[in-house]
Amino acid sequence: MISAYPDIRAESVPFVFNSAPDAVDAATDTLSDHELMLAVRDGELDALGDLFERHHGPLYGFLVKVTGQRTAAEDIAQTVFQRMLKYRHTYRDDGSFTAWMYHLARRCASDHFRKSNAAPAATDPSQLQDHADDTPNAGDRAATRDDHALLHSALGRLDRDDREVLLLSRFQELSFAEIATILECSVGAAKVRAHRALRELRDTYFQLQKEKLT
Amino acid sequence: MNCTHAQERFADVLDGRLAAADTAEVRAHLASCPDCQREYSALAQTLAALDTLPAARPGPALRKNFYAMLEEEKNSAASVAAATARHRHQTRASLWRWILTPATAAVLALGGFLLGTRFATPTPAAAPGPDPATARLIADLQARVESVGQLVGMSLLQQRSTSERLQTVLATLDKKNPDQKMISDLIGSLALDPSTNVRLSALDALYPHANQPIVRSGVLATLPREQNPLVQVAMIDFLVAARDRDAAPEFERIIRNDTIDQQVRDAAKRGLAQL
Repeated sequence: MISAYPDIRAESVPFVFNSAPDAVDAATDTLSDHELMLAVRDGELDALGDLFERHHGPLYGFLVKVTGQRTAAEDIAQTVFQRMLKYRHTYRDDGSFTAWMYHLARRCASDHFRKSNAAPAATDPSQLQDHADDTPNAGDRAATRDDHALLHSALGRLDRDDREVLLLSRFQELSFAEIATILECSVGAAKVRAHRALRELRDTYFQLQKEKLT
Repeated sequence: MNCTHAQERFADVLDGRLAAADTAEVRAHLASCPDCQREYSALAQTLAALDTLPAARPGPALRKNFYAMLEEEKNSAASVAAATARHRHQTRASLWRWILTPATAAVLALGGFLLGTRFATPTPAAAPGPDPATARLIADLQARVESVGQLVGMSLLQQRSTSERLQTVLATLDKKNPDQKMISDLIGSLALDPSTNVRLSALDALYPHANQPIVRSGVLATLPREQNPLVQVAMIDFLVAARDRDAAPEFERIIRNDTIDQQVRDAAKRGLAQL
């Protein structure tokens, strides 16, 4: 088979000219997610390493917000990549890698909640605050942390479907066409669900702010 | 525009996903509707708060576990089965090589013999060798046999995976005095291998033998058909390092050709100056 994916093991080649290794890296970098996933499907399993490096951060961030639990988010992210390997033969020529990844992520999150029988709203603000604002500076960090905790609580009170669609539309740089693919609905329906989720969040967020003040 | 229509579009306006004309309509409605202003402001605040949520970063275990899983999968039953299938395919190919190569050689040798007996004038026993026409025919047939053998070899090489081909090329680096067949295999890889890395490695392996005219002319003959700018630049560097003055006309052709990558043309220009 003619390889569609430049072999990343080329690092071990003792090139005598200076320009080559950078340029080989650049050649790997220029491959799209879709091309990399097609290479994985065709047996170049190392290409999944590049996809992992590109996407595990945003995926993990999404899962932390969906589950409200860091450990669960790590477990689910791991499962997502495991399923990519397991079901790599089902990846389609006309697919969008990101849409496929979040589609798998939703399934894995759903399985996780079913198995653990835990309510998805189990946000633990105290756990999140430990990590929420590690940077020094800013006199009103405490207020910001409170605000973040409120928002996490508000997110935790949304239905899981609403929370997912809101996070996908807001944080993951996805088009509504891709979101519609992930949710397996029409683009119009995806928009309606995202807007409804945002209004829900707004109502809950302001309600919590009011409760805090009283 | 009424309040319901305007409010349905607020999220899109805030996301910048709405067309300019529609956004202007929503803003015009907002300017005259205090209820919608409150609604819009609350949504804007919620979204602004959402955007300030810090991005959580995973711990090192996620990466470690991922690569462990990847390694496991590579060694798993399915992958091993695929590798075995590939090996079986190669074994079949190598059987064909044992059958095809001698058969081709025999056919060509017989053809050569027949042509020789038919067209060559009978020579006296004391004659020092075949006449020039027969010698040309024999040389031509020999060249054909060699090129058929080389093509069969290259096509067999192509059936292996990129990493295996790379390993084959790298193995030649360890040999201090590679024979001519190995050198012609390296030139063959440089000319025909689909992988950029293998071609670059082949060129790298040829560096120690740049003093041989066959190596320089092989690289020079391959340069016009190379499409990848990275390999083109590496080949130009090679020919400059080898001080191959025969490369000058090819460098000039590259410099004149607008369709070739600018970096390649610059390299050729620099190379020409150094030659």
